[in-house]
Amino acid sequence: MDTISLAENMLTAATGAAKGHAKDLENYLQARAKLIADGTAAIAADRLKKKITEEDAEFAFDQIRESEKTAVLAVKATSLAAAQDAINAALAVAAKALSTAIGIAIP
Amino acid sequence: MTALASTSARCSRTLLAFLFGLLLAGCSVLLIAPYDATTDRILTDLTVRTETVVVRADNDRLSVGEREKFYADAEGTVNAMKMRAGLYAKNEQEIAALDELANRYGALSERHASPRTSLTTGLRATLMDLQQIQVAKKRSSVFSGGLNKTNTSQ
Repeated sequence: MDTISLAENMLTAATGAAKGHAKDLENYLQARAKLIADGTAAIAADRLKKKITEEDAEFAFDQIRESEKTAVLAVKATSLAAAQDAINAALAVAAKALSTAIGIAIP
Repeated sequence: MTALASTSARCSRTLLAFLFGLLLAGCSVLLIAPYDATTDRILTDLTVRTETVVVRADNDRLSVGEREKFYADAEGTVNAMKMRAGLYAKNEQEIAALDELANRYGALSERHASPRTSLTTGLRATLMDLQQIQVAKKRSSVFSGGLNKTNTSQ
């Protein structure tokens, strides 16, 4: 068994599996930044129009700050999903190579 | 330089041995709970209801009664989602995010705040974070489905 080629093939499969998650993460972070920017502008606009009080504005910004905790959770979950797919893709390549080498199908 | 190359080769062999160990144990790795279409549907529905209420509040067309009912319904929905999320292993991020979502609705409700865009950005960001968790899980489930299909077709 050519372990160098196998390792390369496994790495290619793992990288390919993680790429989709990386693109999703980029889109999400862009959309989130825009949501926060628009929300911050809305706080300023509502305050100027006296639709909300100064305390309301502080509360709103505190809530934005608190929401950063869930952003971290979302990034962590995406990283875990990407790692899971990368490892399983590499395992699938290894299983195929092993099946071919020993002539027995690996479940 | 030679020492570095030899260390790198040793690391590759160790990684390969680890992966073969997993392979021979007949397992695939599970680091995150599987995608749950019901959770995704309920979350999408909650997001639509929230965005609808935000638009009505922005246009000063939401009564106090409607506002209080919305908060109560939303908190109930989040509690139901938390119950469902707890049924899956490796779902810590989603459960913690749902706790935070309950805090966001709770804070607005306690304050009797109008759900205007300006006051709900933190809430809407948390909803988006939960959606991203569903997107990641869905991509992973589609990917796993593809791997299983490849394996069974061999």
